[in-house]
Amino acid sequence: MKSDTFWRYATLAPAVILFVLLTILPLFNLLALSFHDVEWLNREAVWEWVGGRNYAKLPEDTLFNAGILNTIIFAVLAVAFQMVLGFWLALMTTRVTRLRVFYRAVFILPILVPGIIIGAIWKLMYSYDFGVINQAVVLFGGNPVDWLGNPRLALMSVIIVDVWHWTPFCFLLMLASLESLPQDIFEAAEIDGASKGQVLRYIILPLMMPAIIVTFIFRMILAFKVFDEIYLLTGGGPGTSTEVISFTIYRRFFTEDQSGYGSAMSLATIAVIATMIILASRFATKKGPDA
Amino acid sequence: MIKTHLLGERLRFAGLLAGTAMAAALAAPALAEEAPITIVINQSPWFPGFQAVVELYEETTGNAVELDVNPFAGSLEKQRTAVRTDESPFDLLIMNAGFYVEFYKGGFMQPLQEIDPAFELSEDIYDFDESVCYDATAGTVTCEGDGKLMAVPVNPNILILHYRADLYEEKGLEVPKTWDELFANAQMFNDPPKMYGISQRGHRGAFDVTYDVFPYIWSHGGGIFADQKAGDYTITINSPETLAGMETYLKLANEVGHPSTAGQTQTNVIQNMATGKAVHIQSVLAPGLFDDPNQSAVVNKVNYAATPASKDFPGATPLGHWLAGVPRNVPDDRKAAALAFLTWFQTEEAQEAYARAGSAPVSRAVLEGPMSETQEFRWMKAMADAIPTARATFLIPEASQVLAVTELRFNEAIGGQMELKDALNTAAKEIARIMADAGYDAPMLEELK
Repeated sequence: MKSDTFWRYATLAPAVILFVLLTILPLFNLLALSFHDVEWLNREAVWEWVGGRNYAKLPEDTLFNAGILNTIIFAVLAVAFQMVLGFWLALMTTRVTRLRVFYRAVFILPILVPGIIIGAIWKLMYSYDFGVINQAVVLFGGNPVDWLGNPRLALMSVIIVDVWHWTPFCFLLMLASLESLPQDIFEAAEIDGASKGQVLRYIILPLMMPAIIVTFIFRMILAFKVFDEIYLLTGGGPGTSTEVISFTIYRRFFTEDQSGYGSAMSLATIAVIATMIILASRFATKKGPDA
Repeated sequence: MIKTHLLGERLRFAGLLAGTAMAAALAAPALAEEAPITIVINQSPWFPGFQAVVELYEETTGNAVELDVNPFAGSLEKQRTAVRTDESPFDLLIMNAGFYVEFYKGGFMQPLQEIDPAFELSEDIYDFDESVCYDATAGTVTCEGDGKLMAVPVNPNILILHYRADLYEEKGLEVPKTWDELFANAQMFNDPPKMYGISQRGHRGAFDVTYDVFPYIWSHGGGIFADQKAGDYTITINSPETLAGMETYLKLANEVGHPSTAGQTQTNVIQNMATGKAVHIQSVLAPGLFDDPNQSAVVNKVNYAATPASKDFPGATPLGHWLAGVPRNVPDDRKAAALAFLTWFQTEEAQEAYARAGSAPVSRAVLEGPMSETQEFRWMKAMADAIPTARATFLIPEASQVLAVTELRFNEAIGGQMELKDALNTAAKEIARIMADAGYDAPMLEELK
């Protein structure tokens, strides 16, 4: 019995050690750094203890506040659209009998394109002077629209790109789940005379809820980490209209070389985002099949 | 008969061998005398010229050079990381005018004459407001007193007014010397979205919009600090003079400029000129691009001039130049190799080749020499005229933090998200906080009402 316990711990140990080395220690390092300012003099890093000053500065930081707010707006709107579109596309694809493989391939195409290329494609498409979207607008008699330079439109424009990029992810998970649903329930519903709307409301949605929740959590986590689309399309501007928190941290930590303050910002962000994701997951779980 | 034949064959074979050896000796590149080096550099409009010069150096000397090319901010981050490790993977850092002081002050760069006491900055090479020297004891950028030679400039990178010479000729216009004249000329051609009187960079980045508004605010007597060189860090970003400069910028942007000025990057601005959509731009030079039929619709139609002045103050352009320095933490043989490259780079041959490859040289002799009289290098005169008016932008290692403030607030004022006076007052307060945290005496002016 004792030997069993020993082997259990022994086999688990490498994974635990790796986890501690790669996750817990860097977090502690970040925590220590967040209470210091670091300056370089004569090739030496000089750590100066500043207590909670770095945390106290956060509420006054325009970029941090805008970053948190925009990230939440971005994540909620982008993921909502992706979930609905992904589910709808998956539903349509299962009902198609001809060219199903072709549709699947087309729908998953955007997720295969690297972020840098997506940025270049959409930046060109959104271009005020040369973009295909404005060419179409002008063709139909409208005036060119400043998609990325207008503070009121810029965040929406970036959300559209994200929806285009990540809807296939939701589509794939939903499709896999839809195709694995037991067929006899649908046959029974058909015999009982259930309409398509009733089948969707009372059979498909409840049965798919676990997959929907998992997809939602994955996407929310990824959406909160958005960086490349913002970096490539707007650089956080105009003003703070597309500033997202990962970009703010990157600026403060690396471009401005404020490693202490950047660490405090990172930890505060981890706390905010973890809380939000836990709350969102609990809400989604409560609304799940057992609710 | 057989013997003769064999002898003939042998002679022919020997001749062939000798010929091949001679041909190989003549055709082979020079043997490398120096260790291979790596240069970390950013991707800029002038980069292709630098790349061509590096290739010429390799061909001429046989020494190997690898270029590590990055976006602007990425290059800065790589340089910081490199100098803070035990051994830098980069032997030459190409540092921007906005950030080189932090490398000097941090003690990361090797004074060049400590590597080779005989090394000197050529008399023909500009020192760009003494930015090549640093006095570590006094903590100032100066070539006087204990100031030591730290770097060699590799690109002048200053803002130059680009205008459509063909359109000017059609209308019989004079090259503008003041902002009012520029406005009047731009107004004559402004017909958006077909053509913009001027295209200005207003994008928020690492050192984007701030760099481009300097000619406006300096030529009205304004600035961000009163006099950094003299140690006067009074914050003047919300002075009436800076306000006047920004009002001039906004007048051009709003009345004769691009509708999306706040979103315009340097690439957009250059693109607007190259496609014939802009009549004027203020940009760093990319002359090779505008005269290349594959990249430009305005070949031989663009001309160049120094940035305009206001009625009361002379024109001034910000130094956004690039400096090549050797980090302390590289082995001696690679330091010597880096210095060998810098020695060669200062020669007239290299500087001329640099210009021919489409970039602006840093040699006074080349900029004012016979090349400048030709149509192809017509931009040299404007560059030579403008360099004496060029001024350092930041002389403090906290530049990147101050820039984060100015980039945001200038951009918000241009994009209409904040009133200009509010933006300048807010920027002043934020800069004051940064300076106070860093221990400077940086008093503020009264708020703009």
